[in-house]
Amino acid sequence: MTTSANEPVVSLDGRYDTGGFYDEMFEAPDRPRPHYRVLADWLGTLSVEAFEERRHAVDVSFLNQGIGFTVYGQEEGIERIFPFDLIPRVIPREEWDRLERGLVQRVRALNLFLHDVYHEQRILSDGRIPAELVFGAKHFRREMIGLEPPGGTYAHVAGVDIVRDEHGEYLVLEDNLRVPSGASYMLENRAAMKREFAPLFERYGVLGIDQYPQELLAALRAVAPPAAGLGTVVLLTPGVQNSAYFEHSFLARQMGIELVEGRDLLCHDDVVYMRTTQGLQRVDVVYRRVDDDFLDPLVFRSDSLLGAPGLFNAYRAGNVTLANAPGTGVADDKAVYRYVPEMIAYYLDEEPVLRNVPTYLAADESDRAYILDHLAELVVKTVDGSGGYGMLIGPAASRKELDEFRGRIVAEPRELIAQPTIALSRMPIYVEELRPAHVDLRPFVLSSRLTSVVPGALTRAALRDGSLVVNSSQGGGSKDTWVLRT
Amino acid sequence: MLSRVAESLYWTGRYIERAEDTSRLLHANFHGLLDTDLDRGRAWRDLIWVVGQDELFREHFSDYTAPAVTEFLLWHPANPDAVTSCIARARENARGVREQVSSEMWEHLNRLHLLVSNRRPAAVLASPHDFFVRVREGSHAFQGVMKATQPRGEAYEFLELGGHLERADTTARLLSVKVPGLRAEEPAAVVGARLTSLLKSCGAFEAYRRMESDELRAERVVSFLLLERRLPRAVCFCLELCLSAIRAISGGGARPERAIGRVFAELAFTELYGLDESTDLLLARVRHGISDAADEIASSYFTTRVIPPGPYAAAQHQQQQ
Repeated sequence: MTTSANEPVVSLDGRYDTGGFYDEMFEAPDRPRPHYRVLADWLGTLSVEAFEERRHAVDVSFLNQGIGFTVYGQEEGIERIFPFDLIPRVIPREEWDRLERGLVQRVRALNLFLHDVYHEQRILSDGRIPAELVFGAKHFRREMIGLEPPGGTYAHVAGVDIVRDEHGEYLVLEDNLRVPSGASYMLENRAAMKREFAPLFERYGVLGIDQYPQELLAALRAVAPPAAGLGTVVLLTPGVQNSAYFEHSFLARQMGIELVEGRDLLCHDDVVYMRTTQGLQRVDVVYRRVDDDFLDPLVFRSDSLLGAPGLFNAYRAGNVTLANAPGTGVADDKAVYRYVPEMIAYYLDEEPVLRNVPTYLAADESDRAYILDHLAELVVKTVDGSGGYGMLIGPAASRKELDEFRGRIVAEPRELIAQPTIALSRMPIYVEELRPAHVDLRPFVLSSRLTSVVPGALTRAALRDGSLVVNSSQGGGSKDTWVLRT
Repeated sequence: MLSRVAESLYWTGRYIERAEDTSRLLHANFHGLLDTDLDRGRAWRDLIWVVGQDELFREHFSDYTAPAVTEFLLWHPANPDAVTSCIARARENARGVREQVSSEMWEHLNRLHLLVSNRRPAAVLASPHDFFVRVREGSHAFQGVMKATQPRGEAYEFLELGGHLERADTTARLLSVKVPGLRAEEPAAVVGARLTSLLKSCGAFEAYRRMESDELRAERVVSFLLLERRLPRAVCFCLELCLSAIRAISGGGARPERAIGRVFAELAFTELYGLDESTDLLLARVRHGISDAADEIASSYFTTRVIPPGPYAAAQHQQQQ
């Protein structure tokens, strides 16, 4: 069923189906939540035709700017524009304050955990987290043991994925501490909304997010090594073929720093330089968007073409800062994730503000038995996966897929975890008509001397009907996220 | 500025200009041949010679016909210098240095790429004029957007350097292919048609009339296109701009500056007294000089590690969280 051109985008006639899920916008099919009323009223006066015109304008502008990402799997990566939905997600200040407290608390604990596991390992010897889980994590880096990163920070940028369950409670789903992406979409989505929906901003007090690149740069500068040269910060990208290349170039441009590839860097006597037209120029901080494995062929994967030979030695010598530090992946391992509340209690002596999603470890004998018994109800993920690749969604899986995962759970238990299928909250998207889609939330947490969160986030929506996967590589789209002043 | 970035900017400038130049040559040929008795086969062959791809062309086509040459020069996959591939490569180069060019420039280039890559060959052949105009306007708008939005500095100078070196090279190549034909004894009408087409290929027909003479004379036309310091597509004009770009980049005295300066000086202080073998020799020296300058620029500023593109592109496909 589609709506005709002069009908309003939102009409409170009960046609929109909240379907028993927690809906971000509607308490009931004909009743928006209080902080969405202004939006609902406004969309109630906007005709479908006018709305589509705005949407078209945004699509054209994204296409012309080349705002997109690359999908892998085919021979050649395909460039796509990042699908964008014009109905913003609105978060009241009170909810945000709690989210912010929870995020800061969590990332502080994660940074303390990282420092601990690469130094005294107290949390392991005190038996609070099984040591074999940490040492068995794929992204645990022995090379980092005993190494003191400048400023003591490991995860300078964290992209924490948050979902909301059927009761509307915010839960942390994943801590992305390696090379989280999406901040550029958060900023571009806002820019597009300001162009098309200006009057709505005047009616809502929305907190600004444009300061993100500046705050990121300040955080990176603050952790320059003490013996630094001029405090030169660069962004290291795998290159133009990478799915997140748009973001890398966007952030470099916004911060006014050089976007370098590994081949632009040269390490000599434990100092990192970039090759410029005026000769070599010293580099002090590398905001790297290249995975640990590829950073330095002398230390990590020797076949890497993307890194710079000698980079890690320069880091070890204290002459350059890598952000994020190598080895942060041990803390966003999905099995270690289960113990983050433990970390918060252990290091900060606090109660977690944001709860985890219950997690069963295939590596744990009794958990494994539970997983095998309840496989059809659970979501199974690889511990180091990202991007929504290679997961099993029990309720939607075929018998063959279930059997395949059953085999894997027994064969490689350390690689897999399971979680109950969360009835992710939904909110309206507009695709020919107003329809519900599952959403998540990715705020970006910056850590250097202080830990802070820009009041905004990337809201990702599963644009395919009923899909629970919101990753951009799996056909997800995004929404602007408005944190209200009051 | 990073060496890799400088190289990408320089090639962005060159590729955009190359696309415009090729499209101009095609345009002038299409028009010039409509109402004259010039030898068509030869006119189309000359075009392939100007772009220096004769061997490649003959691997894929047997005759120098308008459709064959047009296809080859606009989008044939075997031709690395086809107009659509030049625009695609200009865009790829700019995409690799997006943080260095103004958003307006990138957007313009991206739009131009989307426009030409979505065109269907049959539609272009049915109305080539429209396509040539779009490419030319796309290139002109790029230069205008660049002048209006790109901060002056190294990035700007490398774009300028690439664009003008390419343009100097094209005009020099065009002259060295055409000059021998201009010396033959031919009826005045044929000579006139050749000279008109030559001037139009460089967008200089009206300028010649106004600045030089109302009479079409071979050595004056050649001299105009080679030596005129006020004509945007004349070799000497382009080299003078290259010289000022390279000075801004190097601060003066570097090897690339001397290489460009040598060719420029010869043209700046030369007089043509008729067309003979010495003109051919002069043109050959100019072309060598331009090619030397390009080599000097590359060895002075672009010393990036060369990595085979295939595996390198594949390696960049790591998943981002």
